[in-house]
Amino acid sequence: MKKNHRYLVLLLITFVISFSISAQTLTITGNVKNSSNNDVIPAVSITVKGSSAGTFTNEKGDFKLVTSKQLPLTIVVSSIGFATKEIAVTGLSAPVQVDMVPASSLGTEVVVSASRVPQRILESPVSIERISAANIRNAPAVSYYDVLANLKGVDVVTSSLTFKTPTTRGFSGSGSTRVNQIVDGMDNQAPGLNFSVGGVVGLTELDVDNIELLPGASSALYGPGGMNGTILISSKNPFKYQGLSFQVKEGIMNTDNRFRSLSPYHNWSLRWAQKVSDRFAFKIGMELVAAKDWLGYDKRNYSRTGTNGKIVDGDRATDPNYDGVNVYGDETTADIRSNVFPGLAAQAPFLKGFLDTLNGGRPMNVSRTGYNENDVVNQNTLNYKLSGALHYKLSSRTEAILAGHWGTGNTVYTGSERYSLKGLKIGQYKLELNNPNWMLRAYTTQENAGESFNATVTTRLLNEAWKLSKGSTGWFSQYSQAYVGARLNGATDFTAQTQARATADIGRPAAGSAQFNTLLNQVRSVPISKGGGLFLDKTNLYMIEGQANLSPYTKSFADVLIGGNYKRYVLNSEGTLFADSTGKIGINEFGAYVQATKALFNDQIKLSVSGRYDKNQNFKGKFTPRVTAVIKVAENNNIRLSYQTAYRFPSTQQQWINLDIGSSTRLIGGNKNFLDYYHLKTTPSYELSATSPTTVNTTAYSFPASKAESVTTYEIGYKGLLGKNLLVDAYVYYGEYSDFIYRTLVIQPNSGNVNDVVTALAQNIPASNVGRIFSVPANTTSKVKTDGFGLSVDYRLPLGFVISGNLSSDNLKDAGGFRSAFSTPKYRTNLSFANTGFGTGKKLGFNVTWRWQDSFFYDGDFGNGDIPAVHTLDAQFSYKIPNTKTAIKIGANNLLNEYYVNAIGNSMVGGLYYVAFSYNVF
Amino acid sequence: MNSNNKIVRGGVAVLALIILLTSCNKLYTDPVPIRVPANPSGNTLAKTLASTPGDSLYNRLVIRSGILTTAPATITDSTLRFTMFVPDNNAMKVFINALSLGAVPLNAPDAVFSGFITANIPVASAAGIVGYNIVAQVLTTASFPTAFPNLQYPTILNPAPTLSALLRLTTFPSKRGSTTWVNNVPLSAADAVASNGIIHHVPAMVLPPNASLWVRISTDPDMTYFKAAVLRADSGTSPSSATSLQGALDNIGANLTVFVPTDSAMRAVLTQQITGALIAQGYLPLTAATTAAALASTPAVFSNPLLYTSLTVMLVKGLVAYHILGTRVFTVNLPTTATNLYTLVGGAPYPGVSVQASFTGPVVTAASVKGAANASPSVILLDPTPYTGKSDQNATNGVLHKINQALLPQ
Repeated sequence: MKKNHRYLVLLLITFVISFSISAQTLTITGNVKNSSNNDVIPAVSITVKGSSAGTFTNEKGDFKLVTSKQLPLTIVVSSIGFATKEIAVTGLSAPVQVDMVPASSLGTEVVVSASRVPQRILESPVSIERISAANIRNAPAVSYYDVLANLKGVDVVTSSLTFKTPTTRGFSGSGSTRVNQIVDGMDNQAPGLNFSVGGVVGLTELDVDNIELLPGASSALYGPGGMNGTILISSKNPFKYQGLSFQVKEGIMNTDNRFRSLSPYHNWSLRWAQKVSDRFAFKIGMELVAAKDWLGYDKRNYSRTGTNGKIVDGDRATDPNYDGVNVYGDETTADIRSNVFPGLAAQAPFLKGFLDTLNGGRPMNVSRTGYNENDVVNQNTLNYKLSGALHYKLSSRTEAILAGHWGTGNTVYTGSERYSLKGLKIGQYKLELNNPNWMLRAYTTQENAGESFNATVTTRLLNEAWKLSKGSTGWFSQYSQAYVGARLNGATDFTAQTQARATADIGRPAAGSAQFNTLLNQVRSVPISKGGGLFLDKTNLYMIEGQANLSPYTKSFADVLIGGNYKRYVLNSEGTLFADSTGKIGINEFGAYVQATKALFNDQIKLSVSGRYDKNQNFKGKFTPRVTAVIKVAENNNIRLSYQTAYRFPSTQQQWINLDIGSSTRLIGGNKNFLDYYHLKTTPSYELSATSPTTVNTTAYSFPASKAESVTTYEIGYKGLLGKNLLVDAYVYYGEYSDFIYRTLVIQPNSGNVNDVVTALAQNIPASNVGRIFSVPANTTSKVKTDGFGLSVDYRLPLGFVISGNLSSDNLKDAGGFRSAFSTPKYRTNLSFANTGFGTGKKLGFNVTWRWQDSFFYDGDFGNGDIPAVHTLDAQFSYKIPNTKTAIKIGANNLLNEYYVNAIGNSMVGGLYYVAFSYNVF
Repeated sequence: MNSNNKIVRGGVAVLALIILLTSCNKLYTDPVPIRVPANPSGNTLAKTLASTPGDSLYNRLVIRSGILTTAPATITDSTLRFTMFVPDNNAMKVFINALSLGAVPLNAPDAVFSGFITANIPVASAAGIVGYNIVAQVLTTASFPTAFPNLQYPTILNPAPTLSALLRLTTFPSKRGSTTWVNNVPLSAADAVASNGIIHHVPAMVLPPNASLWVRISTDPDMTYFKAAVLRADSGTSPSSATSLQGALDNIGANLTVFVPTDSAMRAVLTQQITGALIAQGYLPLTAATTAAALASTPAVFSNPLLYTSLTVMLVKGLVAYHILGTRVFTVNLPTTATNLYTLVGGAPYPGVSVQASFTGPVVTAASVKGAANASPSVILLDPTPYTGKSDQNATNGVLHKINQALLPQ
C-alpha cells in the first residue's frame, strides 16, 4: 500500500516537472515526399532517436521538430505503407528532405486493443482484426461501418441504411447487447435503448484512424458486454492529422424502383484539424448522410404469440387474421366468434344457432387492416454528426483531451418491434488524460430519443384513433355484422370475410392522405405512457475510468497493467420504456482489472494473465479471467492460445423495461419490483412454451432472480507471414455460455386457473384471450455451446495488387434445449481483389469484394424465420488527381442490385452507386 | 508491363469468377395466399332447377319471385352457397289447387299451373315463399340436428329489412333416425348436389309464417279465452316491457312453442275452477256450477272484477306461461316416449309438461302434452294446414298447437 502511494507521488511529480521543462532547444524542419510519385505525405511520424520528442508532417508534408537534443542527431521517419527511414541531421541550415519508398505493410500494423498496450498485430495474443484509414479509403463500402462486414467472422444485421449491428461468433441481432462498441474509449451503447449507435453517432468517416475488432469473448479488459466481440474505433489525433479535408459522396439508390422510386444518396463529410502550437491542437468534424432509407417489405404472414411466432401462409385477401411482418396495425386481432357473436346473438336470438355453427364452432380470429412500413415509417433517413476535440500537451508524453461527439437523425431500428428513430440525439463527451503509462478518462453519454416511435404500436393506435376496435359500433362489431349479413345471404366464409373487411374499412384513411397524416402525427406525438406511440427516453450514462501501466516499476518480474472504472446509468423515460413513471432509476456498476505479461524463453513465449471484477448493484459481482500465450514459432509467425471469459449483466431494458407490446403482452424487466407490482407471485403465472403449438406449464413459474450471463472461450490461432507476400491468420474456438439470458413468456390467467389456459390452447384459442402475458428475462440452467473457425489469407502480388480471402464458420453445437436465438449463418466468406495505387504515377486504385453468407434461421423478438443465403458484390474504382491532393472514386455497394435481408423484418438492401470526390483525405 | 498485363488478365479472371459466384439472392417479400377452394363447376341451383322437369312448376315460382336476379342472395351466383327445400311438381299442384280454391284442378295440364303461377301469385308472395325455402348455407341431411331442442336455420327471407339487415325468418331442419324434416314437413328426396348448394325435395310446400304468435292468438276465433288470459296476465304491464307475455308472443326475436287450449277447453277449466272457488265461499254446488258456467261463458271472465281475487294476475300469468315452451317444437320433433319439457314458468323445481307423439313413417298420428296436475294428457289437435290449421301453426316467432284441455301445473 505504502509503495503504491510512493508511485503515485512519483507519477505526480513527473507530471508537474514535465510542465516546466524548457531547456535549450533546437528546431529541425523538413518535408516528406513519396519517392514513387513525388506526392507529399502527411501524418508521417518524425521522432528523434533516443528521445521522446516527436511530431508529424502536416497536410503539406512539412514538419517542424523541436528537441532539446544537440546535433548531430538522428531522426526516424515512419509511416504505414512506407519503409521506415533513419536520417542523420548534422546541420540546421537547410530543411531536411525525406523521400519515402512505398513498402509492403503486410503484418506490420500495430494494434492496441488486444492487450490494451501497443503491439504488432502478428504478436497479438488473441484474434484481432484491424481496419486502417487506408483500408477505409480504398474500400468500396459507402460507409466505414460497412467495412466491418468484410472482416472474417463478422455478421452484420442491417436494420436500415444507417443502422447496422456487427456481431461475431453467433447470437447476432439488431442492436445486439452482446457486442461492445467503444469509440475513442467511450462505450457507444445508447444507455436506454441498449443498442450501439456507432453508425449514427460515432466518428465521422474522415476522422476514423482505425477500427479494431476483437471477436468473441472480450470482457476481461473491456468490461461487461463483450461476449460476442468488442469493436474499438479510434479517431485521428489532430497533432498527427492536420489540415482541412472533405469528401462529397453523391449516389443513387433504389435504381430499379422496386421498393421505392429511384432516390439520391448524399454523404458529405468534413474534417478540420489544426496544430496551433506544439502543445495545442484541435479538430472539428461534420458528416451528413441523407437518403431514402431501404424499406422493410416483408409482407409474409406472421403468426405470433407474444415474442414467439413463425411465418405462415396467407395474405390480406386469404387470411382474415393476416399479420404481415412489415405491415403494421394488423397486430390488433380478436376472435369475433367468442367476442362479438354472443352480443349479436343476444340481439338476434334466431341467429344464435347459426352463429354457433360458423367456422365449425372454432375461433374466428380477425385482424384489423394494417398499413405498410412505407406508409408509417419516415422514409427520409438523415444522419448528422458533429464532433470536436481540444488536445493539449501537458508534457511531451501527457496529453489532455476534451472531446465531444454528437449525432442526430432519423433511422429505423428493429427491436421487439420496428422503431422509427426520429430526431434521435445522442451526445458523448469526455475529458481524458493520456500518457503512455497511464490514462484517466471521464465521459458521459446523453441520450434523447427525440420523436422516435414504435411503428407497430403507433399504427395500431392510429387504427384506434380512426375507429375503435371494441364497442357496439367498433370495427370488430361492424366487421362481424357485415360478415354475418353476407353469410346470411349465402356467401362463403371467404367472400363474407372479404365483404366484412370492405364494410368495416369504409372511410379508412388512405395511406398518405391528410386524414392519415393528421392521425399519425397525433398518435406518435403522445407518449406511450399516455396511450400513444412516442417514447421519451432521456437515459444517461456517466463513467469514469483509469488505467496505469506499472511496467516501468515491475519490469523485473512482469509487465503489469491495472485499471478500474465506475459507471452510473440514470434511466429516464417518464414511464414510456422503463418502469420509471415515478422518477429516474439509477444503476451503479464498478469494475477493476489487472493484467500481467511475462516473456519467457528469450521472448519465444509470451504469457499474459488478466482478471477483471465487476459489480452491478442489482447483481452479484462477477470475476472474468483471461490467460493467453503467444508462441513465436519463427520470425513473424506466432501461435496464440487463449482462455477468455466474458459476461454481461442484464441490459438496462432487461432490468427495467415495462412496455406493452400488444396482444395482451407486456415486456417487463427482471427487477424483483415487477413481481410485486404485477402480483406475479401472489396470483400465480405459468410459463408458455416457445414451441409451436404453444403449451403451458401447469406448475406456477418461480421467477428465479436474474443474473449475469457469461461465456468461456478457448481459442487457438495462428498468424504469420509466409515469405514476404502472404499473410495467413487462422483460429479455432470453442465457447460455452452459462446463465444465458433470454426471454420467456408467462401467462397470468384471468380466472386465476391455469386449466383455462390449457383448455384455450387446446382449442387453438390465443393465450392472450384468457390471460395477461408477460415476457420476462430468464437465465438458462443448461449450457449453450458453440464452436467455429476462421481463416484468412492476404496475398500481395507485384505492383501493389492484393488478393484477400477469408472463410469463417460459427456453429451452435448445443442450444441447451431452449430458444437461444443463435441467428447466425454457419459459413460466410469474403473475397477481394484490390490495388491502392497502380498505373502511371500510381494514380489508379480499385477494390472488388464479394461476400457470401449461408442461409440460416433468424430468431429475433420481432420475427423468426429462414434467411436465405446472401451474395453481395461491392466494387470501387478510384483516380487520384496529381498535385491537387484530390481523388475521385466511383463505387457500388451491392453492385448487381441483388436485394437481400439479413434478419426477419429488416429492410431490403439493394444496390447503392456513388461517386465520391475527396480532398486531402489521408 | 508484362507482369502488369498478367495481373490485369488475372484480375479480369477473378472478377469473372466473383460475378459467376454471385448468383441471385432469394428474397422473401410476398405472402403466400392460402388456397381458396375454387367454386365447383357444374350447374348452379338455378340451372339445376331449370333443367329438372319434375321441378318445372317450382322453377316457375322461382322465376316469378325474382330471386334469380335480385342481389345479394341469388341462386344463379356460383360463389354463394344455399340449401333449397323444393316441392316437386305434384306438391306444387296440390299447393296451387288449394291456393286457387280448387279453380285449378289437380289434373289440369302443367301449363295451366304454370300460367296460374305467373298470372296469379304476386311477386312479393312468390319471393316470400321461395326466400323461406332457401337456407344460406350448405346443409346436407348428414348435418341436420338430431337432438332436441331444434336449431334455427336462417333463411334468406328478411321480413323487415328496414328493421335490421340481419333479420331472418328461420326454418328447422331435423333428423330422427333416417327420417328428415324441415319444420314439420318430411323430406321426400334429399341431398341433390348443385355447384352452389343442395336441393332437398319436399312433398308439400314449406310455407313461410305470415304472422307472429300474438297476431294469430289475438285473431283466431277459437283462441279468445287464451288471448284474454294473456291480457289479464299482462295487466299493468306495457307490451314493450321485458316481462310482458304479449310482448314475448309478438317479439320477432322470440322462438316459442305455445299450446293453446281451445275456447271450449278454457271454458271447461274456468268453470271447474270457479265452481270450486264458489263452493269454498259457501255456494251450493249446483248454484256454484251454474254461476261459474255463466261467469265463464265469455272471455270477459278474465276482466270480471268479481273474480279479481280468484283469477289473480299472478295466477293467470303462471297459467299462461305454463302453456309456453322457450323453444320451437313441431309435432314431428316430439319424442315417442313421454318426456318432460320445462315451460316459461321456469326449470326445476317448477313442474314441466310431459310431451309424447306417435308416428307412422314420418307422419305424426297422435300427439299429447300433459300438465303436472292434469289427470290425463291434453290431446294436440292434429291439423297442420298452414295458417288455418290447429297443429304445427308456424309463426314468425314460434309454433302453436291447439290442445283440447288446459294444462294445470298444480
